[in-house]
Amino acid sequence: MAKIRLEDYKPIIRTQNFDEIQLLAEKVSGRQMKMVNSTAAGGGVAEILNRLVPLMNELGVHVRWEVIKGSGAFFGVTKAFHNAIHGQKVEITQQMLDIFKETQEANLADMKFDQDVVVIHDPQPVGLIEAKEKSHAKWVWRCHIDSSHPDERVWNFLKDYIVKYDASMFHTPWFAKQLPIPQYFIYPAIDPLSEKNRELTRSEIEAVLKKHKITNDKPIITQISRFDYLKDPVGVIAAYKIVKKSIDCQLILAGGAASDDPEGAQVLAEVLKASEGDKDIHILNLPPFSDFDINALQRASVVVVQKSLREGFGLTVSEALWKAKPVVASAVGGITLQVIHNVTGMLVHSVEGCAYQIRYLLNNPKIAKQMGIYAREHVREKFLMTRLLRNYLLLILTLHHPKEDVIQI
Amino acid sequence: MRAKVPFRFYTASQLVQITGRRAAHLKEMVEELKQVEDSSIFYHVHHAYREHQFAPGMYPNDFAHWVKDELGESVLAERLASLNIKEFSDIATLRQRIIDIIVDFLNSATEIRKASAGHEFYFCSNVAVVMQTKYLAYTLDEFCEGLKRVGLRSLFFHFFEARLRLGHKTNDFSMWIKDNFGDKALADQIEALDPYLYTLDQLRDKIAALIRGDDGREESSLLGDIFRWLRSGLKIISR
Repeated sequence: MAKIRLEDYKPIIRTQNFDEIQLLAEKVSGRQMKMVNSTAAGGGVAEILNRLVPLMNELGVHVRWEVIKGSGAFFGVTKAFHNAIHGQKVEITQQMLDIFKETQEANLADMKFDQDVVVIHDPQPVGLIEAKEKSHAKWVWRCHIDSSHPDERVWNFLKDYIVKYDASMFHTPWFAKQLPIPQYFIYPAIDPLSEKNRELTRSEIEAVLKKHKITNDKPIITQISRFDYLKDPVGVIAAYKIVKKSIDCQLILAGGAASDDPEGAQVLAEVLKASEGDKDIHILNLPPFSDFDINALQRASVVVVQKSLREGFGLTVSEALWKAKPVVASAVGGITLQVIHNVTGMLVHSVEGCAYQIRYLLNNPKIAKQMGIYAREHVREKFLMTRLLRNYLLLILTLHHPKEDVIQI
Repeated sequence: MRAKVPFRFYTASQLVQITGRRAAHLKEMVEELKQVEDSSIFYHVHHAYREHQFAPGMYPNDFAHWVKDELGESVLAERLASLNIKEFSDIATLRQRIIDIIVDFLNSATEIRKASAGHEFYFCSNVAVVMQTKYLAYTLDEFCEGLKRVGLRSLFFHFFEARLRLGHKTNDFSMWIKDNFGDKALADQIEALDPYLYTLDQLRDKIAALIRGDDGREESSLLGDIFRWLRSGLKIISR
């Protein structure tokens, strides 16, 4: 696949945003930055860095991306931390804390921090901050997790590290905490040129439908998400069944169930049971890396649903909005930042509400289409990779002017 | 006619900061409003206008929006929404006015409604990074051309931030026109525009039209279309 360059985004984003990126880049060109996370492939952070780092380098910011090393035991601990930050009750032992600290020290011995700015992503490498005293860099901690209701013990353990940073970044204001360091509010972003979001031809979309034995002969309603109780796939089926009473339509529930997640298999079994006897419900248990199929399924849909009971940011909503699809979604988490009720989509609070709004949109295709246009513009301005790039360039400038709210460059 | 001092277009990029302060009900809101930084007040009265150009909501400022959506206090929401920011030339007075509106409402309220957990008002602020653009104007024609080419964030900076945040009391365009061309009438006409009733695209067209002396009925941008549709047609969607 050809290397993506900033120029490739020019026809996609507004001119003023493209110009602003170039203007900001002139001001920070030559700066050195290091990004550290815990995986080079798989997962949202790696997906973002794979695109962001080359773009920043193209603009003259020398970014080095490194990945920490850790044993299976260490990643078991950080998985438990992750769940605890999400608010789950997890048993944390002293041995687990020791494994975490030892891994931080081992990585510190292997890494150098001689850049101007160091950005540490998520809790796994948070302890690298111990190198701050020996470096001249500004240190930033980027939290990609919903930390609105964390387990207090784990949060306090991590907080001892976080407060040593110069600044932090959160996806939404309600993920942030009372911290003595600046906290920046920076949305995550989707990449319009990725396999999951790039434009597709009619024949590409039809090929995917054919592959999954779906005939595009009646309106398609789709929810893309893993089979998880928090995504409420059974609730989506219930909403669809209400809609189906008055409109002949079909439902696609597409996602993956991780093989090591026993709950996922159970949810999938319940979903299959709930869909029994209705040939218009298509349950697609997609393998990992099905981005192209997901893209096509979203584009084939008339309405996209995201009926989560709880959600972090829910970036899959922006993926659908970018494809100019009206989205009917629960008013939870970051979804409320993406769906502006009655403008870019419909926010709902129940199965009945979800069904009603789907019915409304299916019966009013002109309004659905108009909503889709606004949805795409909303994402174009706020949730694309280039906006994230702009924020990072701004962050570099801002870090060197702490406590100023108007910085004249 | 050539200006003694050229108009240099600046632009301001913004990074949003989370203050960590929040309010679950109106009494807390008042206490926080007394303490937050000026930049937080500026942010919350302009955020929806500046950021939701493609999808403006029912209310023009975040306070009104939260009061309606999370507390269900429609009367107060309308009072806050009708606040005309244009009437204020400093944040301190604007802050006090917002507090007064809420306190006045509280004085006759029979209950204090509380937002549910996770739906509190989260105070944010913004850091503006101000940079010089390459656009420079000596004449009014060059100014109109620059205005057309420069991004809307530049317009926002010269028209909104300069006036209220930097304490210039008027917008930068009017000041430059008056100082360099002595055209007080034109400067006053631009200053008299109510920018909060237009999108930034429309405002740019209006300013250019005033300078050129035409009636400004030329907006045809997507933004203008969306804005007009929303103002006139929101009820269709709202049913």
